[in-house]
Amino acid sequence: MKKTLVAALVASAFAATAHAADPAELEKRVDRLSDEIAALKAEIAKMKAEKAAAAQAAPAKPATIDIARATGEAPKMYEDVEKTTFFGYGELNYYRPTHDTSNTTADAARVVLGFEHRWNDRTRLVTELEWEHAVTSSEDQGESEVEQAYVEYQINQNLSTKTGLFLIPMGLLNEHHEPTQYYGVARNFVETAIIPTTWREGGLLLHGNHDSGLSWDAGISTGFDLSKWDATSTEGQESPLGSIHQELQLAKAKDLSGFGAINYRGVPGLLVGASLFSGKAGQGTPDFPAPDARVTLWDVHGRWTPGDWDIWGLYTRGHISDTANLNVTLVGNPTLVPEDFFGWYVSGAYKLWSKDEMSATPFLRYERYNTGWKYATLPAGLTPDALPTEGVWTAGLNFYLNPSVVFKMDYQKFKQDTTRDRFDLGVGYQF
Amino acid sequence: MRKRTGTSAWFLVPVALVAPAPAGATQYLKVEDAQKLAFPQADAFTPFAYAPTPEQRAAVDQAAHARATAGDPAIWRVTAAGQPMGWFIVDNVIGKVEHITYAVALGRDAAVRSLEILDYRETHGYEVRNAAWRRQFDGKSAHTPLEFGDDIKNISGATLSCRHLTDGVRRLLAIQDLVLR
Repeated sequence: MKKTLVAALVASAFAATAHAADPAELEKRVDRLSDEIAALKAEIAKMKAEKAAAAQAAPAKPATIDIARATGEAPKMYEDVEKTTFFGYGELNYYRPTHDTSNTTADAARVVLGFEHRWNDRTRLVTELEWEHAVTSSEDQGESEVEQAYVEYQINQNLSTKTGLFLIPMGLLNEHHEPTQYYGVARNFVETAIIPTTWREGGLLLHGNHDSGLSWDAGISTGFDLSKWDATSTEGQESPLGSIHQELQLAKAKDLSGFGAINYRGVPGLLVGASLFSGKAGQGTPDFPAPDARVTLWDVHGRWTPGDWDIWGLYTRGHISDTANLNVTLVGNPTLVPEDFFGWYVSGAYKLWSKDEMSATPFLRYERYNTGWKYATLPAGLTPDALPTEGVWTAGLNFYLNPSVVFKMDYQKFKQDTTRDRFDLGVGYQF
Repeated sequence: MRKRTGTSAWFLVPVALVAPAPAGATQYLKVEDAQKLAFPQADAFTPFAYAPTPEQRAAVDQAAHARATAGDPAIWRVTAAGQPMGWFIVDNVIGKVEHITYAVALGRDAAVRSLEILDYRETHGYEVRNAAWRRQFDGKSAHTPLEFGDDIKNISGATLSCRHLTDGVRRLLAIQDLVLR
């Protein structure tokens, strides 16, 4: 276009020179040339504007070339940068006792925020912070807790360690306690009263796994403090170990505990496993009447998920040794230290309906547990009677809006203490 | 003498635990090794530049009925003596918070020949490496059902990894069916 413009100007100049003899004609031609130049200037300006507009409308060129896309190379196998990711879960529940509706409660039972920070491909930090019952202050019932805080180190592809505050590998629920991972509004009684979920200790854990589907855990950690036992309260009847756990809150650590777990997942849909935890609980407390008391807890568990069915169960049993001398000092109080306690449950669920990410799964669970099954023999008929074994039927429905959001409802029927029969509603989430 | 040797060996245990491990603590298989494992007879893996049109991308999304979580895959056309053998695809999905890098080999019939986990970085859920679980994908194609829970059984404690890998493989099969053929 520029060449055309120059040619037109040159041609016009030659033409003007050839007829320079007639001043009037020359003036007219100069005027025409001026008009033509103005028109050409306008055309050039218009073209420039169009070009600029077109450049603005065109998609920006990528700053970097996607090598993987362009050449078919593999995506980067390892993101060797420090990285922090956030996660969390929560559950908000409604409990309505059917025989005493005045005790109906609604509760922001748990809101948990966590983060992982990875320094490199073998070292990371995992932290989980939890608020229970919405408000925490000296006048409120809520709690704020550090639920997990540990450094994980990957020794090799099949061996790793955790150092810090971590969940004890026991049962089905303790390490996988997010509301989307279990059926029913509240966690089952066995893995609350006997295994004190969410149970964590401070220490060192070694984890190993094999491609066959076998995995194992072993470690040493803080344990229980039996000197915390409050015989005047019924807390020890609700959960013997839940009442004396320390949660790494200025934990007494003279007596450390040992633990181990083994699980097999080598057949798709199948899990079978067992675990053991044992340690002394006197913690060197001066003048404590049970300095050699030892707490031992073990469990066996299994789960079978063939397609739409989900069937699972667990048996657990706890023992506290050398409690007689302690209980003698506590006679007359409502809650003495049990020597043995146990619990088991079986449960089944069936995915009845699903559409896209939504699904509805009714479930049924029966559990039996006893937090005071046996007591150490005391002299002169002072041995307390064993507590009755409680049995609970729970029937309900988990409705998943998507795999990370669940609405729940259930009804719980107690065999011994029927005043606890209740109807529950809840919503849970995980991200 | 024998007793003393045994005692010395025990002292080496903590040393072994803290000693630097070989590179790639979370990397289980390199791409080249996974290629040879999946197609031992192949003599060429030719990179294929995956650049679907917007229409193809929409069709893949619809067929996969799962959200893409970690970008586009890397794809190779596999041949032996000039004859096509299938496709080899490396992809990422999110487990819980980290990427899982995995490879899927598709035969000439467009069905899954193998699924391998190349890199697993999560704290939990590594059980998806189990061979028996991965074998559930063998023979699956874009025209056979591939739903988590129904066709691919769960691993208790590794639900998110199992679900997201199933979604990822379904997406790769849709890509093969709608873009690569």
